[in-house]
Amino acid sequence: MSYDFSWVYQMPPWRLALLMVGLFVGFYWVGAIFIRPFLRVLVRRSPGLNDLIGYVLSCFCVFYGLLLGLIAVTAYQNYAEADQNVTREATALSALYEDVSRYPEPFGQDLRWLLRDYTRYVIRYAWPLQRQGIVPQEGTIRAEALFDRLLDFQPKTPSEQILHAEALRQLNHFLECRRMRLFSVTNGLPASMWYVMFVGAAFNIILCWMFDTKFMTQLVLGGILAAYLGMMMYLIIDMNQPFRGEVSITPEVFEVLYRRMDDV
Amino acid sequence: MIIPSPGLPTPPSRHRTSRRAALGEGLAATLAASRLLAPSLFVGCSLGIPPRAATVTVGLLHSQTGPLAIGSTSVRDIETHAVERFNASGGVLGHQVTIRGPDTRSRSELFPRRATELLDAGAVALFGRWSSASRKAVLPVIEARDALLYYPVQYEGNETSRHVVYGGQLPNQQILPAIDWLASDAGGNRRKVFLLGSDIVSSRTTNFVTKKWLAEKGITVAGEEYFPLDHEDFAPVVGRIADSGADWILNTVNGEGNIHLFGNLAAKLDAATVPMVSTSISEDDLRSVPRGVAEGHFVLSNYFQTIDSPVNREWMEGFRAEFGRDRVFGDTMESAWSLIHLWKTAVEKAGSFEVDAVRSAFASGLSFAGPGGPVALDAATQHCSRYFRLGKIRRDHLCDIVRSSEEPIAPDPYPQIAFPGWKCDWTRGGLERGPEVTIDG
Repeated sequence: MSYDFSWVYQMPPWRLALLMVGLFVGFYWVGAIFIRPFLRVLVRRSPGLNDLIGYVLSCFCVFYGLLLGLIAVTAYQNYAEADQNVTREATALSALYEDVSRYPEPFGQDLRWLLRDYTRYVIRYAWPLQRQGIVPQEGTIRAEALFDRLLDFQPKTPSEQILHAEALRQLNHFLECRRMRLFSVTNGLPASMWYVMFVGAAFNIILCWMFDTKFMTQLVLGGILAAYLGMMMYLIIDMNQPFRGEVSITPEVFEVLYRRMDDV
Repeated sequence: MIIPSPGLPTPPSRHRTSRRAALGEGLAATLAASRLLAPSLFVGCSLGIPPRAATVTVGLLHSQTGPLAIGSTSVRDIETHAVERFNASGGVLGHQVTIRGPDTRSRSELFPRRATELLDAGAVALFGRWSSASRKAVLPVIEARDALLYYPVQYEGNETSRHVVYGGQLPNQQILPAIDWLASDAGGNRRKVFLLGSDIVSSRTTNFVTKKWLAEKGITVAGEEYFPLDHEDFAPVVGRIADSGADWILNTVNGEGNIHLFGNLAAKLDAATVPMVSTSISEDDLRSVPRGVAEGHFVLSNYFQTIDSPVNREWMEGFRAEFGRDRVFGDTMESAWSLIHLWKTAVEKAGSFEVDAVRSAFASGLSFAGPGGPVALDAATQHCSRYFRLGKIRRDHLCDIVRSSEEPIAPDPYPQIAFPGWKCDWTRGGLERGPEVTIDG
């Protein structure tokens, strides 16, 4: 059974950031008070202990930092790719709209209506579902309706043949981009990566607890480290799913296109 | 911070903290942090997450692909527009209405399956569908599940289901008044009609009622022919119409066949001499007909885009602002708009989405000021009162209204001239069956 963490994407970003920092710092401080005394029994005080822990920690931090950095970059790249793909889909729709506007009536009008209907659906219905991590289904029906109607058209002149071929090419490109958008709705880091990240953060904290320092120094320095780990986790969580949360890809390109469609 | 110099004793700290005190301070700090975060972390678990509004689902059963798609899509859009307006003004009974709209692909056999899926998904009402065949295919499902279907399309009558609310015109609200007018001096005193139809139950039943009425009025039927839905070549029948001496044509052909029919007709007959009166075509459908070929013929409808009223103008403007400036309106769209508003009124009167409660609310007398004029739901038959309007097709495919009833006509699904002894009153016992009636074909 897996726990559903989707509620984190319904929070405002500043609250999510505060929650992550709070959780990590709180965990560090609670551990410093209740667990650290037991650790110090296990790892007895000796003259070179802090140096040893320092070496282990710095070695560990290199690997962990690399992992976190790479994951953060990957999450950002996924986000940026999904964003670019949304733009490509809107661009293909726009080009298709221009093409079908030159079709004879009633095909031209029917196709314009269907394209507007699709765009409106994406803005009003698909996007809120994507924000919840749900792949919208009814856009497929609209895309099929568009495809069907376009195939109904039988070009009669050479110029209509060229126009129709170009419209079909644009339609295929649009369908491809649409599929990519739908794939990226549920795209995210695999569960194993999350485990490694959180276990790595816990090791970091445990190593810090082992330092033989004054208690207040322990709380302050360890708290800063934990706060930064929390910030990194927040960043990765927020970027992990490009359509979820407040910091996510917006349907702005579709909105601009929809306004323009009414003017053509 | 004091950094100890090598060789010097460490100076005593002014605030030397004991282990016990440090533990206490740490605990206090943790508690303080917890207290700071507690309102958002634990108390009421608000976390800035907006509370979810109560929702209710309605199902839209329309063909979004296939030959019926274009007309159905416009009806789906107007229903979506209505729901969006409900939601913007607080929803229905405080519930936000969500829409589920699967594609029935213009295939009658898919309608019952999709209806079942929608009801399984918790839909409290179903709206839509197109042909009589698809309506009849869905009836067993909605009757078995005790659901309510709101059907917006003009149809042939001879049906009353406790599980359907019929919004479209019946023959007594559409064809029969047209026959009376065409037989009058104002209508050209036309006495010989040719009946053209699609080979489907609605055309045959409509013409069954029509022929009884024509006989009553002493009008001759010059001919009667039916064609498959995908029929394209109407030139031979137009020749037969010309030879028959008919002075008008009653057209109950459905779907894209009308495009070819108008073309073949224009090549042979003059609309001023032998006008065709169509029952199943709207201004929306006329877009597909080549410009000019339908000019001068007539359309029977409850609603035309050219109705000059503030309600109609506001309705069209509101829809176009959302769905596009070039959108065209039709009778079924108007009917669907009125039906979904009647559903809302019924639910609000009943204070519940339950089918029995909603049906009980019908008896209280539901009405709505629709774009085509006031619409009242007749609780006895669960059909709506509708206007009779006859529109003359213009070159731009809009229609000038040449004849209209003074007020909405009450529905009569069983005209006694065709179905003697058949009556329906759901407020007093339901359907009363008369002698079995056989419809030709």
